[in-house]
Amino acid sequence: MAAVSAAQPRASKTESYVDNKRKEDIRQSNINAARSVADAVRTSLGPKGMDKMISTANGEVIITNDGATILNKMEVLQPAAKMLVELSKSQDAAAGDGTTTVVVIAGAILKQCLSLLSHGIHPTVISDSLHKASTKAVDVLTAMAVPLELSDRESLIKSASTSLNSKVVSQYSTLLAPLAVDSVLSVVDPEKPDMVDLRDIKIVKKLGGTVDDTQLVKGLVFDKKASHAAGGPTRMENAKIAVIQFQISPPKTDIEQSIVVSDYTQMDRILKEERNYILGMIKKIKATGCNVLLIQKSILRDAVTDLSLHYLAKAKIMVIKDVERDDIEFITKTLNCLPIANIEHFRAEKLGHADLVEEVSLGDAKIVKVTGIKDMGRTTTVLVRGSNQLVIDEAERSLHDALCVVRCLVSKRFLIAGGGAPEIELSRQLGAWSKVLHGMEGYCVRSFAEALEVIPYTLAENAGLNPIAIVTELRNRHAQGEINAGINVRKGQITNILEENVVQPLLVSTSAISLATECVRMILKIDDIVNVR
Amino acid sequence: MAIEKILKDDATEEKGERARMASFVGAIAITDLIKTTLGPKGMDKILQSTGRGHGITVTNDGATILKSLHIDNPAAKVLIDISKVQDDEVGDGTTSVVVLAGELLREAEKLVAAKIHPMTIISGYRMAAECARSALLQRVVDNKENAEKFKSDLMKIAMTTLSSKILSQDKEHFAQLAVDAVMRLKGSTNLEAIQIIKKPGGSLKDSFLDEGFILDKKIGLGQPKRIENAKILVANTAMDTDKVKIYGARVRVDSMSKVAEIEGAEKEKMREKVQKIIAHGINCFVNRQLIYNFPEELFADAGILAIEHADFDGIERLALVTGGEIASTFDNPESVKLGHCKVIEEIMIGEDKLIHFSGVEMGQACTIVLRGASHHVLDEAERSLHDALCVLSQTVNDTRVLLGGGWPEMIMAKEVDELARKTPGKKSHAIEAFSRALVAIPTIIADNAGLDSADLVAQLRAAHHKEGCNAGIDVISGSVGDMAELGISESFKVKQAVLLSATEAAEMILRVDEIITCAPRQREDRM
Repeated sequence: MAAVSAAQPRASKTESYVDNKRKEDIRQSNINAARSVADAVRTSLGPKGMDKMISTANGEVIITNDGATILNKMEVLQPAAKMLVELSKSQDAAAGDGTTTVVVIAGAILKQCLSLLSHGIHPTVISDSLHKASTKAVDVLTAMAVPLELSDRESLIKSASTSLNSKVVSQYSTLLAPLAVDSVLSVVDPEKPDMVDLRDIKIVKKLGGTVDDTQLVKGLVFDKKASHAAGGPTRMENAKIAVIQFQISPPKTDIEQSIVVSDYTQMDRILKEERNYILGMIKKIKATGCNVLLIQKSILRDAVTDLSLHYLAKAKIMVIKDVERDDIEFITKTLNCLPIANIEHFRAEKLGHADLVEEVSLGDAKIVKVTGIKDMGRTTTVLVRGSNQLVIDEAERSLHDALCVVRCLVSKRFLIAGGGAPEIELSRQLGAWSKVLHGMEGYCVRSFAEALEVIPYTLAENAGLNPIAIVTELRNRHAQGEINAGINVRKGQITNILEENVVQPLLVSTSAISLATECVRMILKIDDIVNVR
Repeated sequence: MAIEKILKDDATEEKGERARMASFVGAIAITDLIKTTLGPKGMDKILQSTGRGHGITVTNDGATILKSLHIDNPAAKVLIDISKVQDDEVGDGTTSVVVLAGELLREAEKLVAAKIHPMTIISGYRMAAECARSALLQRVVDNKENAEKFKSDLMKIAMTTLSSKILSQDKEHFAQLAVDAVMRLKGSTNLEAIQIIKKPGGSLKDSFLDEGFILDKKIGLGQPKRIENAKILVANTAMDTDKVKIYGARVRVDSMSKVAEIEGAEKEKMREKVQKIIAHGINCFVNRQLIYNFPEELFADAGILAIEHADFDGIERLALVTGGEIASTFDNPESVKLGHCKVIEEIMIGEDKLIHFSGVEMGQACTIVLRGASHHVLDEAERSLHDALCVLSQTVNDTRVLLGGGWPEMIMAKEVDELARKTPGKKSHAIEAFSRALVAIPTIIADNAGLDSADLVAQLRAAHHKEGCNAGIDVISGSVGDMAELGISESFKVKQAVLLSATEAAEMILRVDEIITCAPRQREDRM
C-alpha cells in the first residue's frame, strides 16, 4: 500500500525542507506522458499536416486530421495524458477548431516547465507566472485582431477556408467554406445575434458521388425513402405536411388483450373492422387536406402496416416512416408545424406547408427532399456526399470545424492572422515583457514565450521546410515590425499572411492559449497519484 | 499451561506497544500523504480510480482525497472520519484537522518513547487545548455590528479559503460570487438554495451568479418558450396510461372495434389526468417522470409549458425555491400548493439550452454557473466553491473572525508554552509537545511553498513574542508579514473545530492499547 510505504522515511521537521524524491518523479512522469501525447498529434498540425489512421477496438477504421478525434480515440490511460485529451475536448466545445494547436502548445509549455523545474523553481511560482503570461498573451492577441462585420462575407469565407485547408477535404475548401458561412448566417436569430446554436444545422451524410456534390439545402432532407410498399406517390407539389406521433395500424392497448374468435363469421367481421378502423383514420387525415405524412418511429407497435400503406397510397398521401423522436424538434421547427399525437387532434392548422416534397435518387440510394417551405424556421440542412464512408466522416468533421469557426466569428467578431504569425508575435512581445519583470517570474514568462514558437516551427516542419531557418527569419521580420508576417506554406516562404487570406477567428487563438495554460498549471500542481476505489 | 484459543481463526490481536505503534504509523502516514496539499502553495493530487473506466479526479480538497482512499489501518480511519465530520460541520479545514491530529500523534509517540504514560499525555493535551481555545477567544474580532466591515471580513475569509484552491487566480471574482450568494441566504445555512451548475467551455472567469433557478432541461415541443407570472405545478407522476398492476390481467374482447374502444379509453384516461392538471390553473408543469407525446401535445394545446424527466434533485430544489410542493395526485386542486415565479424563459449557456426561472418565491435562492476548461477543472472548482460557501454561511452565524496564515497557531503555541512553564509534573512535557504540534502547521505551509521553514518559523516566533502582533507567513513574498494588512482571515468556528476535533481524535487513538482484527466473514463455497 502506497500510503504506508510513503511514511517510512519519517522526517523530522528540520529535514523536511528537502523536496521529496518521489514527488519529483511523479511530476516528471506526468509531464513526459502529456508530452508524448502532444508529440503524437504534432504532425497533423497545419495545412500540410499529415493524417492519422486509427483502427478502433471493434475493427472500425478512421482517417482524420482532427486533433480532438485522434485523441478521443487513442484511449490513453495515464492520468496526465488523459487531461490533455480532455483539454482538446474543451477546445472543441469552446471554439470547435484549433484542437490540435491547443495540445501542441500545452506540450511545448510542459517541455519548458521541465527545465524550469530542474532549475529548482517552485511549481506554484511557475504556475502563477504562466497564468500572468497567458493573460498578457490574450491582451496582445486582442490588440492584434481586426474587427469584422457579419456582412463581410468574404472575410468569413477566408477564415472558414483557413480551417478547412488543413483537412483531408482541403481541395474542396472553395465549395465548403461558403457553404459553412451561408448555413451559419442563415440560422442567426436577429433577436439574439451573438448566439448560434449549431444544432439548428443538420448534417446529412449520404454515400455516393464526391465531396463536390455536397450541397446546402434550404429545407429538409431525410436520409430515407418514401414508402413504396403499395405504390404511393413519391413526389408531391404544394405539400401539406403532418408530423404525427401516433400509428396508423390496428389498435393496441397498453393492457394485455386478446380477441376471442369463436366462429368463422366472426373472423371475417374482425378483418373488416380492422380495415374500417384504418380507413376511418385515413379519411380523417385526408379531410384536412394533408398529403405528406412524417411518422415517428414507434417501439411499441408498427408505425404503419401494409394495409394502411395501401390505403394511404390510394388516398395519394406520401409517407415517410421511422422518423427518430430526437429529430422531431428540428423538423417541426423547420416546417413551422406542430407534432400531432392523436388522430382526434388532426387539424389543418397543425400542418406545415411546402412547395415540393420529392424523392430524389442519388446513385443507388434515395433521399427525400422538402423544399420551398412556407414560413421556414431558422434551420439549415447540409447534405454531405463522398465516395466512401471514411471521406464522408472526415468531411463532416471538417465541416463541423468550419461551422464552429464561423460561429466563433459570429459571437466574437474579430479576426486574426494565421500561419504562425500571432504566435511568433506573442513570443516576441512576451519575450520583451519578460525583461521588465523581476525575479523568477521573468524567467518563467520567457520560457512561455519560447514555448509558443512551437507553432510556426511545427508548421514549417510539417510543410517540409527548414524549421530553424523559417523561425529565425520570421522572428527577424516581426522584430522589424511586420506583425502579420507568417509562413506561407504553399509558397514555402514568409509573406504577409493577411494578404494571403489566411485568417482565423480571435476566439480560437485566445482560447487555445488560455486553455492550454490552464491545463499545464493543473498538471504542474500535481505531486501524487493516489489509487482509489 | 496452554492457553486455549480465544479468538477465531484468522482474527488477529495486537497488544500494548505494538498496537500503539500500528496506530501511530497509520495516522502519520495519512498525515504525510495529505500535508502537501496544505496552504496556498499546496499541491494537488490525482486520484486514479481502479474501478471501471479508470476515471481520474484532480483535487486539493483534503476530505475528497481521504474519502476515496483504501485504508486498512484503524487509526487512519479515525482520522478520515474526523475530516469527514469537519467537512459536514464547517466545510473547510479538512486538511488542517488531519495534519494537526497527525502532528499531535507524532509528538505523542516521542513522549511515549520517553516513558510517559498515555493518560498523562492525554490530560496534558486536554489542558493545552483548553488553553489554546481561550487564547483564540481573547483574540477574535467580531464585526457583527458593522455591516460594511463584516462584509469585508467575509470577502477576506472567502479569498483565504479559495487561495489554496484551483480558483486562486480568480479568487476575487469567486469570493465575490460566494459572498453574494451567502448574503442572499440571510443567515440560513441551507446551502441547498444555492445551486451550482457546471458547464464546460469558456474559462473560470466567465462563471457568474444568477438570481433564480436554472433547470438543465428542455421545454416540450410547440409550447411557449417564455412565461410571465408563472404558476408552477411540480409533480412526480407517471403520465402514461394507468395500468392494472395485477400480473396477468388481460382483456378479452370479441371484435376489433372493442380493442379500439379500450385504446380510446386509455387515451381518455390520460386526457382526464391532463385536464385535472390543467384545472389547477397552472401555466407550467414540471414532472419528474416522462411526459409522453400525447399529453405533451395536450399541454401544448392548452398553452402550458411542460418539462419532462427533470431529475430528482432538480424538482426537489425547484419545489423548494418556488414555494410549491411536489404533487402526485391531482383530485383536489385546493390542497396542492403551487409554486410561483415571475418569468420562465429559455437561455443559452455555452452550447446548451437551459430553462431559467427568475423572480422565484424564495428570494434566497440563486444559481452559480461555473464555466471552465474541462470537467476536472469544473469538479474541482465546485468543491472549492462549496468549501467557501460552507465557511461563509457558518461565519454569518458565528461572526467571530481570526487572522490566518499561521497566525492563530502561533498565538496558541505561545499561550500553551506559557502554560507548560507554569504546570508542574510530567504533564508539562505533553503541553509543550502540543505547542510543537501547533507550530508544525505554519512549518508545513512554509515547506509547501518551498521556503526555508526553520528560518521563517523562528522569525515568526520572535515576532509573536511582542503583544498584539499580527505576524503570519506571507507565502507570496516568502517572508513574515502582517496578516491584517494582507487581508488573510479565517473563521473562528473553523479553527475551533480544527483544534477540538484534532485533539479529540489524537486522544482517542492514544487511548488504544489493543487492536483486535476480526476474522473476515467466510464466503461460502465460491471457489
